[in-house]
Amino acid sequence: MHLVLFFIFGALCVAGALNLLLQRHPINSALSLIVVMTSLAVLYLLLGAEFLAAAQVIVYSGAIMVLFTFVIMLLNAGSEERTHGSKMAYLFGFPGVAALLGLLAFVFLSRSSSFGQAQLGEYLVTTADLSKVLFRDLLLPFEVTSVLILIAILGAVALARKEH
Amino acid sequence: MSGVSYFALLRLTLPQIALALGAFLTLTLDLTVLRRRAQSTRFLAGALTACCGCVAAMLLLACASGQQTLFDGMMVANPLTRLIQMALAAFAILAVLLSVSSQFTRHVGEYLSLILFATVAMMFLAGTQNLLLIFISLEFLSLSLYILTGFSKRSRASAEAALKYFLFGGMSAGFLLFGMSLLYGLTGSINLMQIAAALGGPALDPLLLAAIVMVVIGFGFKVAAAPFHLWAPDAYQGAPTPSAAFIASSSKIASFFIFAQVMMLGLAGAAGSAGWQSYSSGWVMVIAIVAAVSMLLGNLAAIAQTSVRRLLAYSAIGHAGYMLLGLAAHTQQSLEALIYYVLTYALAAMGAFGVLGALEAEGVDELKSLGGLSRRAPVLSFCMFVFLLSLAGIPPLAGFFGKFYVFVEAFRAGSGELLWLVLLAIATSAVSLYYYLRVLKQIYVVQPEADAAEAIHTPLLHRAVLCVMAALVVLLGCAPHLLLQWIGQAMR
Repeated sequence: MHLVLFFIFGALCVAGALNLLLQRHPINSALSLIVVMTSLAVLYLLLGAEFLAAAQVIVYSGAIMVLFTFVIMLLNAGSEERTHGSKMAYLFGFPGVAALLGLLAFVFLSRSSSFGQAQLGEYLVTTADLSKVLFRDLLLPFEVTSVLILIAILGAVALARKEH
Repeated sequence: MSGVSYFALLRLTLPQIALALGAFLTLTLDLTVLRRRAQSTRFLAGALTACCGCVAAMLLLACASGQQTLFDGMMVANPLTRLIQMALAAFAILAVLLSVSSQFTRHVGEYLSLILFATVAMMFLAGTQNLLLIFISLEFLSLSLYILTGFSKRSRASAEAALKYFLFGGMSAGFLLFGMSLLYGLTGSINLMQIAAALGGPALDPLLLAAIVMVVIGFGFKVAAAPFHLWAPDAYQGAPTPSAAFIASSSKIASFFIFAQVMMLGLAGAAGSAGWQSYSSGWVMVIAIVAAVSMLLGNLAAIAQTSVRRLLAYSAIGHAGYMLLGLAAHTQQSLEALIYYVLTYALAAMGAFGVLGALEAEGVDELKSLGGLSRRAPVLSFCMFVFLLSLAGIPPLAGFFGKFYVFVEAFRAGSGELLWLVLLAIATSAVSLYYYLRVLKQIYVVQPEADAAEAIHTPLLHRAVLCVMAALVVLLGCAPHLLLQWIGQAMR
């Protein structure tokens, strides 16, 4: 059952990501991003990370995507103009990516036994557990991330403000 | 982990907190009190507050002593990390002072505080042995640098450079994260020491090799080593000059230090060797290849450049190759030599960009427009002379000893198995002399163009800072033991 769900939502996720890249209109791309985010949330749920899945739906599929669509509509962005891309990309880029993916897939499949077991769901169930991890064990990365987000805001304001 | 000492954490992060407070103060003062003042007043006052923050951080670092590790290696403080952090704060001061007279932006407070925040990120980067914090602070640093690159909004080149830097940086972050997740999957830990312990065995897993290659790709982007250098020439050319100076110096120090930490501590058991005919797989081979490609490509491409900044960018790629040579040797002495090299290189590179920044108002970027500069601005020309010769590695300047120590240590390591790489490095540094001298020939030998013969005026502060930096380059060249002893003591 798990495996079937994983395949369905994994495929949905990849298809959404491809559709995101191929669509011409920004709104369509944004809507496909919602598909990607929601199927990722299901994948988290399958791994046993309920909180992460809920946060993914609320924060990414909800808040951030609404902002995305708002901004796209406010800017009234039309469909994008396509360029054909460079020859180098077709000659080397795509075969290179394919080779890299093939190599990685081969290594993963043949050596998957050397990966350890990840335990996600067992000790991270309640909000209390989560807050213990977030505010005690991982306090420093948490705080550094908060400054990082501040920098992003600062930069966005500085870059978007009109120069007089 | 039962009891977490929040107080100890606070005490260890005090320098970073001081710096962040300095940044907030700079921003607040600029947006409130100084809002309606002239640009130069705002820059001077902002630089003063920013420098106060840096000096406070340096004092706190100087007062601290001993070794401490918190949160499972997430926060590490020892003499070596403190030395690097102090150097980063010092370079932040120089970067702030060199940007005081620039005209490219009206958002003074934001600009100065971004430099300080980037330094905070680099300090966290230097003081950690934990993959999670390494990744977060690296992204923090990169984000600040993307914004600093695109800060000149009146210039199209700046926006283009920032976008390129951002896209390449995003890709490289993906590779780095993939590599790190493989390391975590293989060892079950994100602490470098525990990773090294878990990897212990001599047999090399193919998965580990994939992880090594990805991590090297990720860090290779950050240190601008070929073939992951594509962003560097555009970023160095398009970014506002003070930002370019900052990117070329401080971020190199932090990135190389953490690169060396990850490789030498975390992957200590998977080194392998890169001897000419005694090759065994491991990360040294990967680094040696990247180093060789960087040295060749950087130095050869620099010959063809007509823009001075692009020339400096390609020479920076070449220098990244020399520094990777110190990493490939992976001994304690070679790490010492690498730190000396990266510090002196950063000083000279920042100085060279500082001189270009002073000429920015004159619209000097092409090699041709430097003609006869020695008659128009003798002091600046002399500073450029010192910086470029130091970059080329001419004795008795600091750059010579940096190269000398790195080459000697690389040769000594593993009984001369890296000889082929050292020979390549010596040959390419002979090539590098050619293009550095081409710039100096324009400055000293060629006559100035007819329409540009009047003297160039530069602010006193800018000139003074450049002169101090040039004096430091000469001093560290004449007495390299001053810095080397310090590094040596810190490492023991």
